[in-house]
Amino acid sequence: MKVLEIENLSTHYLLGAEIVYAVDGISFSVDAGKTFGLAGESGCGKTTVAKSIMRILPDNGLVAGGKIWLDGQELVSLTEEEAKKFRWRKVSMVFQYAMNAFNPVLQIGNQIIEVLRQKAGCDKEEALEKAKSLFEVVGLEASRLRDYPHEFSGGMRQRAIIAQALACDPKLMIADEPVTALDVIVQGKILDLLNKLKEKYDLAVLLITHDLSVIAEESDQVGIMYAGSIMEMGDVVSIFKRSLHPYTARLIGAFPSVVGEKTKLEFIPGAPPDLTSPPKGCKFHERCPFAEPVCRAKNPELREFGKGRFVACHFAGELDLGK
Amino acid sequence: MRKGFVASIIGGEQRYVRAVDDIDFDAYMGETLCLAGESGSGKTTTARTILRLVEPTGGNVRYRDEEITTVSKDRLRKLRMKMQIIFQNPFEVLDPRMPAKSLIGEPLKVNNLAPNEQELEGRVFEALTEVRLTPPEDFARRYPHELSGGQLQRVAIARSLILRPDFIVADEPVSMLDASVRTEIINLMKEIQRIHKLTYLYITHDLAQARYIGERLIVMYLGKIVEKGPMEEVIREPIHPYTKALISNVPVPDPTAERRRIFIEGETPTPIDLPQGCRFRPRCRETIQHCEHEEPELRQVKRGRWVACHKA
Repeated sequence: MKVLEIENLSTHYLLGAEIVYAVDGISFSVDAGKTFGLAGESGCGKTTVAKSIMRILPDNGLVAGGKIWLDGQELVSLTEEEAKKFRWRKVSMVFQYAMNAFNPVLQIGNQIIEVLRQKAGCDKEEALEKAKSLFEVVGLEASRLRDYPHEFSGGMRQRAIIAQALACDPKLMIADEPVTALDVIVQGKILDLLNKLKEKYDLAVLLITHDLSVIAEESDQVGIMYAGSIMEMGDVVSIFKRSLHPYTARLIGAFPSVVGEKTKLEFIPGAPPDLTSPPKGCKFHERCPFAEPVCRAKNPELREFGKGRFVACHFAGELDLGK
Repeated sequence: MRKGFVASIIGGEQRYVRAVDDIDFDAYMGETLCLAGESGSGKTTTARTILRLVEPTGGNVRYRDEEITTVSKDRLRKLRMKMQIIFQNPFEVLDPRMPAKSLIGEPLKVNNLAPNEQELEGRVFEALTEVRLTPPEDFARRYPHELSGGQLQRVAIARSLILRPDFIVADEPVSMLDASVRTEIINLMKEIQRIHKLTYLYITHDLAQARYIGERLIVMYLGKIVEKGPMEEVIREPIHPYTKALISNVPVPDPTAERRRIFIEGETPTPIDLPQGCRFRPRCRETIQHCEHEEPELRQVKRGRWVACHKA
């Protein structure tokens, strides 16, 4: 069942007299009980997608077009008042810097109770009970609700953030680089926790990260973003094992691994384009070793290529990408 | 090992944080030795102590047989020309008000090694070309804010190379960068190493990265070396329970890979009140009684493989 459906979303930032085309007409959906991994390098627009869904864009950002359906409701057209009501209740977000997510001078428990009272309409006692059970769910002792943020380690803080994100039984959880700042063993535990919660609550998870290794291990579906567009989309195994877009193949090829044969890694020459004046044609053509005149002239549409597989490349299926 | 480098740093008195506690290793000419561990393992303190950016409370550090911990300031300055460091965040290290040419040429100036402006410029252009910032005339003029993160890190590398060192400590040099730029810089570092026969002490929390760049691996936990050996052997067949857990938790870019995460209790504690016996014991799943009483020594269990575990 589709929980989130994004249709042709465009989000722009105004930068003085210029416009940054941060997200440029993307579409995808996330099912209940599944993880959709949205991956790409810095500046590709993946976090802007999250902020557009949450309606927390900075003042100079605006959704320029498209629709976002969450649990049957369209979000782009909501007023700010209405948006406040669905945030936390229908969708919540876990950020990278767990350190900054809590007020340092308030007990963590009180901050979670506050969310429960404000958003879930719990009374004081209900909220405390719920907070206790949430802590248990994420693997923290209920007695630690009285702790202040600095008394928690990085991993515990991330667990507390996840507890808070679950407070109002959302349908969708957006996890934006949820483990990037954590040590590898704690990383593993947090990813495991997210997986358990996904199953337990039939949550739809939108996992946003630059780390394709995390994407490979945690996602059911994957979308690869580049310069504001989705270049390729499909189930995790075909994305990694049978990449159709040169960008996907090259990006995967830049990641080292601790398993398998050690191979020489290749990088992608050049840098992503300036999104105030994106190049004509395919946005990747300047860095693509297979680019032909048509790639400079015409932007390839994201088209279906086999069941559930989407790719935006004029030569999809015709290129030897080494796999 | 005469043409090598020896470090052994012995911990301080009680009530101090023993950030690095009695460790021994050698780095050999032309190799990349990786120092890996999680936050709080002491890997960065080790690196800084070697260059005497942090003064050790005990122990010896030798560079080509010369004791570094006790040399005079003058001699240290000379030695530092041969021993350089690359930091994680070039934005913090490089002065934003200086163009690349001055940033890269500064070590030459400070050490009176550039007789004139022309010679200085020549050396800077050469260094820029070496790190692939071409045309050098163009990049020499640019200020840090006019460079991308990857380009700026290459300026930092050029700056560290300008005095023609033979030993470079690289402290998480690519951790801030995107994957493709990361690979680009690591490949560049490997090539420069081959050309100049450099020795790298490469510090990283990322074992996949360590495997890609290094020939030997040291894994640290709470200020101690827990395991050390040839890279591929340690990665494929770790012996210490901590190394095993660490490697099993590194995500891999392959959804079909068979992975089983080994879980260990809790997180790395602070090094202030260390447990009795083995410092990994409270989190270890393979403990025996002995672990409670005696701290395991780092001992050779196979040729070239060193492990600090009673069960090894």
